[in-house]
Amino acid sequence: MNDKLSLNIWKIFFGIISISLLLTLPWWSSGYVVMMVIRIMYFGMLTMSLAFLAGELGWVSLMQAAFFGIAGYFVAILQTRYSLPFPIPPLIGIAMATVAAALFGLLVIRTRGIYFLMLTLVLGQLVWALASQWASVTRGDTGIHEVYAPMLFGISTAESKTAFYFFNLIFFVGSIIFLAALKRSPFGLMLRGIRDSESRMRMLGYSVGLLRYCAFIFAAFVAALGGVFFVYFTGLINPHSVSLTTNVDTLLAGILGGINSLGGAILGTGILKMLDVWLSGVTKRYLLFMGIMFMLVIMFAPQGIVGTAKKRLETKRKKTA
Amino acid sequence: MSLLIGMSFLNGLTLAALLFITASGLTLSFSLMRVVNLTHGAFYLAGGYIGLTVLKATGNWALAVLLGGLFTAVLALVEERFLLSWARGNDLIETLISLSVAIIIGDLILVVWGGNPKTIAIPKSLGGAVVIPVIGIIYPLYRIFMLGLAIFIILGLWVFLKKTNLGITIRAGVDNFHMVSALGINVTRLFTIVFGLSGGLAGIAGVVGGTFMMLGPGEDWRILLLTLIVIIIGGMGSLSGTIVGALITGLIYSFATAFIPQFSLFFLFLPVAIILSIRPQGLFGKEA
Repeated sequence: MNDKLSLNIWKIFFGIISISLLLTLPWWSSGYVVMMVIRIMYFGMLTMSLAFLAGELGWVSLMQAAFFGIAGYFVAILQTRYSLPFPIPPLIGIAMATVAAALFGLLVIRTRGIYFLMLTLVLGQLVWALASQWASVTRGDTGIHEVYAPMLFGISTAESKTAFYFFNLIFFVGSIIFLAALKRSPFGLMLRGIRDSESRMRMLGYSVGLLRYCAFIFAAFVAALGGVFFVYFTGLINPHSVSLTTNVDTLLAGILGGINSLGGAILGTGILKMLDVWLSGVTKRYLLFMGIMFMLVIMFAPQGIVGTAKKRLETKRKKTA
Repeated sequence: MSLLIGMSFLNGLTLAALLFITASGLTLSFSLMRVVNLTHGAFYLAGGYIGLTVLKATGNWALAVLLGGLFTAVLALVEERFLLSWARGNDLIETLISLSVAIIIGDLILVVWGGNPKTIAIPKSLGGAVVIPVIGIIYPLYRIFMLGLAIFIILGLWVFLKKTNLGITIRAGVDNFHMVSALGINVTRLFTIVFGLSGGLAGIAGVVGGTFMMLGPGEDWRILLLTLIVIIIGGMGSLSGTIVGALITGLIYSFATAFIPQFSLFFLFLPVAIILSIRPQGLFGKEA
């Protein structure tokens, strides 16, 4: 009990420190760091949506980037082609990504394990094929450019990176709170029940399919939110953002940090995105490096950094007790 | 218009032949080991490029097919023996390892053969075109040969699985793996053999497919996608399901390419969605 209390105090302590660091970041660091953190935030939202499904349901998805990209594409198309004013493109984009999740969800809810993995791989690749082939709408492999971030309270978030940073931070923290609340709620408990014993939950009278369906849609919603910030920040979207490479990158980030926790997902994304920048300056063989790293992590530390650290702590505690 | 329909139909059939050769290997290894080998598409591409190199060096197309298949068979053996067996029993980890191997092979291919799309030259004896009787369409001889090759492989696999000792053991392993193991049969060796055979089929398909389609970056994932769709439609682990799945996928893809090229791949979503909502285990799959 005492241990648990001290752990909670540590958690609160770290929480306060990281929040105050994040809130003051633009004033004590360089513009480069701010841009890096923005990148980690929107990709982190994508990784969190994957980690939520993996941690709560044991579902390893290879299509979360599809929802990220669908939202991004809708924002880009509605803004550049139909020049709709600000809140409309992202709202429609997120809504459409959620609708897509509702559609794909009908197909995936009955599967689990490798069947889910295989089916999401296929569906994700079909979305990629659409983005790359339907050139009259998506502009094919060149993608859509010059998507400007909106004006908020008279400040252009396209010009001021600090403004964009806070705009993104609000939704990033919001997503963490949203998913953490879901995890703590009876809903999250039911999902973990399904993960551990589907037949038992069914016997207890829970609607397993419906619960899974809702979880799938919630996860897609967070990924879509990340996609909006991605397209606003980079100003462009192309099929690469919904490609298998992006999906595997997301999975690697999730597994690297620890797939069972949201903190692990963010940590993994941070490490991977920093590696990405460093590697692209050194070598063109990013995919090769990523593949090898993916293999090593899967084979030797499938629990990820957070998972392995937790295990260490527990064995240590057992020894002292 | 009717010529376009006839051509699309024939193209669909030959694509189905290629997809069958690729998917039969995948479904075979899946039914025994419960691993979806995501390296399969990379094996296809690696086999195709090896075939390309062999053909350039020797000028012998049959040898290219043989060596392409042999190379990927060895590649598959190594993957199974040293990587997948690491996580034996945890099918999710095994599948993710195969995904990482696919990424590594895909990038190594880019290093060795570069990023420009290439095609394997059609052998002289199979070049040219013939008039197909009854419908009177002029059609490349090579594609008709491919159809024959697929039928030959179907028959070969059928005889192997039904008549030979090894084939019977494999089928027994598919039905009840623990019982076969308890009877004293070396299951580890069985796994390796089946995985090698599966990889070999992918390599052969790569050389055969590379002769009428392009070999290039991304082709590995396109073939894997089509192959997975074939076995989702047909049912995992069923050979007759693979035949039907390959026909459905090949024909739909071919007609979609001819009439609505912008959606040719996405259109395959339709059969996948319909099959999964009516029969989640696939047309010929058993209840899980």
